[in-house]
Amino acid sequence: MSFLQNFHLSPGQTIRSTRGFKWNTTANHADTPLSPQKDRPLSNVPINGNVENSWSTPTKTPRYAQQPPSGPDGLAALQESRTHQIPQLGSDGNVTDFNYTPSHQQPFLQPTEGTTVTSHQDLKHIVEMTLGSEGVLNQAVKLPRGENENEWLAVHCVDFYNQINMLYGTITEFCSPQSCPRMIATNEYEYLWAFQKGQPPVAVSAPKYVECLMRWCQDQFDDETIFPAKTSGQFPSNFISKYVVQMLRRLFRVYAHMYCHHFNEILELNLQTVLNTSFRHFCLFAQEFGLLKPADFGPLLELVIELRDR
Amino acid sequence: PSHSPKKLPRGFHEKASSHKTQRLVSVCQMFFLDYYCDMFDYVISRRQRTRKVLEYLSQQKALKHIDNDILNSEWSGYVYKEHEILRKRRLKPKHKDFE
Repeated sequence: MSFLQNFHLSPGQTIRSTRGFKWNTTANHADTPLSPQKDRPLSNVPINGNVENSWSTPTKTPRYAQQPPSGPDGLAALQESRTHQIPQLGSDGNVTDFNYTPSHQQPFLQPTEGTTVTSHQDLKHIVEMTLGSEGVLNQAVKLPRGENENEWLAVHCVDFYNQINMLYGTITEFCSPQSCPRMIATNEYEYLWAFQKGQPPVAVSAPKYVECLMRWCQDQFDDETIFPAKTSGQFPSNFISKYVVQMLRRLFRVYAHMYCHHFNEILELNLQTVLNTSFRHFCLFAQEFGLLKPADFGPLLELVIELRDR
Repeated sequence: PSHSPKKLPRGFHEKASSHKTQRLVSVCQMFFLDYYCDMFDYVISRRQRTRKVLEYLSQQKALKHIDNDILNSEWSGYVYKEHEILRKRRLKPKHKDFE
């Protein structure tokens, strides 16, 4: 439990730039001449290359606008560019790092190698450092050997339901029928709710939609013929295509609404790490089992592609 | 806070600094930490268990030349047990039940 007390979620820890935040591990070390720069592969160097701006407000930078220099020449050029930077010294003579968190002092997990979850020893470290870092979640969504696919998907449906419930719960104050009279995600997408089978779906406010959706999910979970609770209980034959896909498709819309209409509030509340982690987990899971089509990701398709390709 | 360049709705900061919101935010963060710790713990433990079972089965096969059917049934027994554990995870009482 004690490590939780040292854990601060901060903007510097976002799982990479949906809003241009970047790891500033390099910035932390750049001012110490003894820092083991040579031990660090080039991939660790800020790719955008504008080292002078390391301490400025993070802005959206095209990540691949400037290719990282490669080869020995590139390394020399990079180290030279480092000497040009002017560290901003605080009153105590140290570099002021406004994104400081204790975890930045720890070695950076290499994105390219992928972090392998192999032992319990890694566990604390991984969760502390990178909720949702590269490779960790990718592996965790894989079907365990010998497991029934339906059961694995069912457990995840419940998990994502709980996560979304928790995330949306924290912003209920900011998502009211007044602020969000319609369940939209950008102006291009609106989601309607059909209250009765066979009746046309109608426009409802975002909180109303989420409320209906959550109750609908709960009803499905409570239905023994869909989500069996007894050990002997079986899943229906079309469980994945009929129930899992539909539920994930709908749960996604809550992410979409939160990203498109409440992300600034989420940033202010410092919940972007958990939102990004949860959504990334959701996407990786959907991808692993081919559950959602690109069209289902509608307003967030770009974000989904970015999350997937890292 | 008023210098924030972000577009925030009127009254955001009053609501955001309210005791209720602060509490919800920290509950949410704890929930996720707890969830991911628990989830990774489960995934790792399960892999370790499976590895041990597979090692045991292959040893049995190599050393004692036990019939494949017996080994297969031992394996499915193990898989069934894991399946039960996973189902219990889906049904276990969650945080929200205590709030």
